[in-house]
Amino acid sequence: MSCNLLHRQPILRRPDGSGGALPALTLITLFFVVPVVALLLRSVTEPVPGLHNYATLFGDGTYARVFFNTFLVATVVTTVTVIVAFPVAWMLAIMPPALGSIVFGIIILSMWTNLLTRTYAWMVLLQRTGVINRTLMDIGLISQPLPLINNLTGVTIGMVYIMLPFMILPLVGTLRAIDPMTLRAAALCGASPFEAFRRILLPLSLPGIAAGGLMVFVMSLGYFVTPTLLGGTSNMMLAAMIAQMIQSLLNWGLGSAAAFILLVVTMALYALQLRLVGAKRMTGGI
Amino acid sequence: MTEPFLSIRDLRKAFGSFVAVHDVTIDIPRGQFLTFLGPSGSGKSTTLYAIAGFQHPTSGDVLFKGRSLLSVPSHKRNIGMVFQRYTLFQHLTVAENVAFPLRVRRRPDAEVKRKVAEMLSLVRLESFGDRHPGALSGGQQQRVALARALAYDPPILLMDEPLSALDKKLREEIQAEIRRIHRETGVTILYVTHDQDEALHLSDRIALFRDGRIEQIGTGEDLYVRPQSEFVASFIGNSNFLPAEHLETVNGAATIRLADGSVVSGVRHDREFSQGQKTRLMVRPEAFRLRPGPATAGLAVEFVDTAFFGERRRVIARTAAGQEIDVRPTSDMAEAQEGIASSRQQIFFDPAAAFLFPA
Amino acid sequence: MLLDYDRLGWLRAALLGFTGLVAAFLLLPVVLIVLLSFGSSRWLAFPPPSWTLKWYGELFADPAWLEAALTSARIAAMAALLAVVIGLLASFALVRGQFRGRNVLRGLLLTPMVLPVVVFAIAIYAFFLRIGLGGTTAGFVIAHTVLALPFAIIPITAALEGFDKSIEDAAIVCGASPFEAKLRVTLPAIKIGIFSAAIFAFLASWDEVVVAIFMASPNLQTLPVKIWGSLRQDLSPVIAAASSLLVFLTLSLMIVTALIRRKLSK
Repeated sequence: MSCNLLHRQPILRRPDGSGGALPALTLITLFFVVPVVALLLRSVTEPVPGLHNYATLFGDGTYARVFFNTFLVATVVTTVTVIVAFPVAWMLAIMPPALGSIVFGIIILSMWTNLLTRTYAWMVLLQRTGVINRTLMDIGLISQPLPLINNLTGVTIGMVYIMLPFMILPLVGTLRAIDPMTLRAAALCGASPFEAFRRILLPLSLPGIAAGGLMVFVMSLGYFVTPTLLGGTSNMMLAAMIAQMIQSLLNWGLGSAAAFILLVVTMALYALQLRLVGAKRMTGGI
Repeated sequence: MTEPFLSIRDLRKAFGSFVAVHDVTIDIPRGQFLTFLGPSGSGKSTTLYAIAGFQHPTSGDVLFKGRSLLSVPSHKRNIGMVFQRYTLFQHLTVAENVAFPLRVRRRPDAEVKRKVAEMLSLVRLESFGDRHPGALSGGQQQRVALARALAYDPPILLMDEPLSALDKKLREEIQAEIRRIHRETGVTILYVTHDQDEALHLSDRIALFRDGRIEQIGTGEDLYVRPQSEFVASFIGNSNFLPAEHLETVNGAATIRLADGSVVSGVRHDREFSQGQKTRLMVRPEAFRLRPGPATAGLAVEFVDTAFFGERRRVIARTAAGQEIDVRPTSDMAEAQEGIASSRQQIFFDPAAAFLFPA
Repeated sequence: MLLDYDRLGWLRAALLGFTGLVAAFLLLPVVLIVLLSFGSSRWLAFPPPSWTLKWYGELFADPAWLEAALTSARIAAMAALLAVVIGLLASFALVRGQFRGRNVLRGLLLTPMVLPVVVFAIAIYAFFLRIGLGGTTAGFVIAHTVLALPFAIIPITAALEGFDKSIEDAAIVCGASPFEAKLRVTLPAIKIGIFSAAIFAFLASWDEVVVAIFMASPNLQTLPVKIWGSLRQDLSPVIAAASSLLVFLTLSLMIVTALIRRKLSK
């Protein structure tokens, strides 16, 4: 700081430093906020003004089934993802880096591989004459192909596959932040491995589990591609229904009403998550 | 002979080709406060971890009342431990932390409650039970850790540099607490530190570690007055080492010649020296006097620098051979001032308080 | 002890075994697709009766595939560039700015990542139909820039938060204009964040299916739309061949990323 304490204040710079946000704000307002609000307005104006679209959605059993299915799939996917991800994250947090980097590499590879490619692979694997069914039949475990696709099983497998990295990676961070000494202290205090897990490790990683789990749940609620390709017609999810209403049925009013419901639920859960972990920590996951 | 309370037998721990602990053997009687002192990497913590069960020794054994602990998992050893970092369970309150070892032992509620209150009063944190550890200062957290480690009345308490994260004033305060708690509970304590003052203040006995071995074990006074090696002499307290030539030893008292040619008699040592062997004479800075006394030896020096230390004045002096030595005379201040005024002079030491080591 | 790799005992074997299984589960589809793309069975039998390159032949014989890939690359490159530039400017405001509503703004700019894509897809589809951008490259680029923006902002703000602003101030005190100081001092310091932003933004567009399905027109198809269309017809091994090339691309991207990151962090 020995040079010269005088420097010019540029005229175009806003004193509060908010100037840089203008292009982003313009983009998001014009091409995100306006279209979404316009869409939501259609839900109360088409075909005639009023709340009848919402009345239809909440009054009809067909739609109730879709809502139920959506929450069912999101719940099952989140539960399975958390249970599968935790031990992996646990190991990744403590295993030697050489071994860990292999597992991390596999996780990144799967995460970065094209979404449709992965889903296509599961279609091939899970179909009636697919690799899994054939292998199981060849070794004589089953005599009839298992129904693995176009149902809840298929959607769950495909979605868990996609969601695992989103759960594992932040959870590794949470687990790494726990001092291993704390667990040693618990052991010397007399806690068996099971007690130490239940009373110390699990509670200490709960914020990470809650944050990751909520993120997986929110993402699952609005997921379109995988449920459409791996799910059946009898367990259609909300996102697929919205797409169908717009694309095939051209029912913009009903479609945008359903979109509004999805938006409200998602945003409410997002807000809950922000309160739970703070905006900083959530976005630090990438 | 009765079994020692806790016994470490030929304990060895190797990490690959690096041997962290070389065949350490110690017997610890019940109720003793034993400190493992040594520089970092000297194997003291590794030894402690082997007792705690965090590390499995390569060979050797740890016996508690004659029974090996090695096959006992940590959570069944019934040992208390306070760590360098606080290791409190952040999601539990102070009281729940202290109650934790009792809860996992399935003690009845009433007993847990009573014991938690007793422990919190032992560490003088009665009113902090409902707080979370994060809201406490470092010193308070360490006291909670101490309460948690003692809650289940373990016969042995391990402490791994528990004060190193605290500042000086707090350290002294908690040292006093630890002494009081040791007195009140009578628990056997194994304490690891690299701080010699801490070791001298607290312990009944000190095991000084160096490169995975115990260099010397004994009371603080033993180590200070009768160091068995130059390493011990330089690690415990401060020392000057003057090059000297051994002339002869009669009845355990040696006669030596210093670099300036002066001859000193009546020096202690515990080894065999041949005539003319090069040796080093250890003289503690505080063993020097400015005035001669009965049977003192003189050393011609020049005062180089002086600093005031409150209780004492520290003087840097240069011998005729050009070696700088540390002098902290115990005589009164006026005398010291007077001494410094005339820069060239004789200082004196008692040969019986000096110690001879091989060069 | 539960977090000491060396003292887990049998639990470690169990957890490692489980981790291995999950890693295999994650790897399985990727490996399988690559293998099947060289298999001769039209019905994707595994193990394949014999090996062949004919699906790759069919893939390259159909110009629509290559065209779709080029379209995707073009759109993704433009969207990534826009997202990084706009995101970089926004990040300075979000990290350095001293204005009210900064956190609200941050939340707003990140919302496209959270909102279900299908909602945004039909919204932007309807909007573009009305203003005449439907089915155009410009429309694609704008929509994908919106979706890619959060992926650009997150790594850049993270890098910027880790950068000590006093170094920039020192450059300014030494006579550099604030712009010059940013260009010469700050940007080089956060280049890894910017690079990550570019990769993530590119992938966000390159992999995007839902908006693309709605926006696509017969003469403007991205690669995911082409795959989607084929998937809905049958599970042809040609898709496996195309997918294998995408897996190969992902792997190259991972390696290049690792190399560039290593180089940048020196």
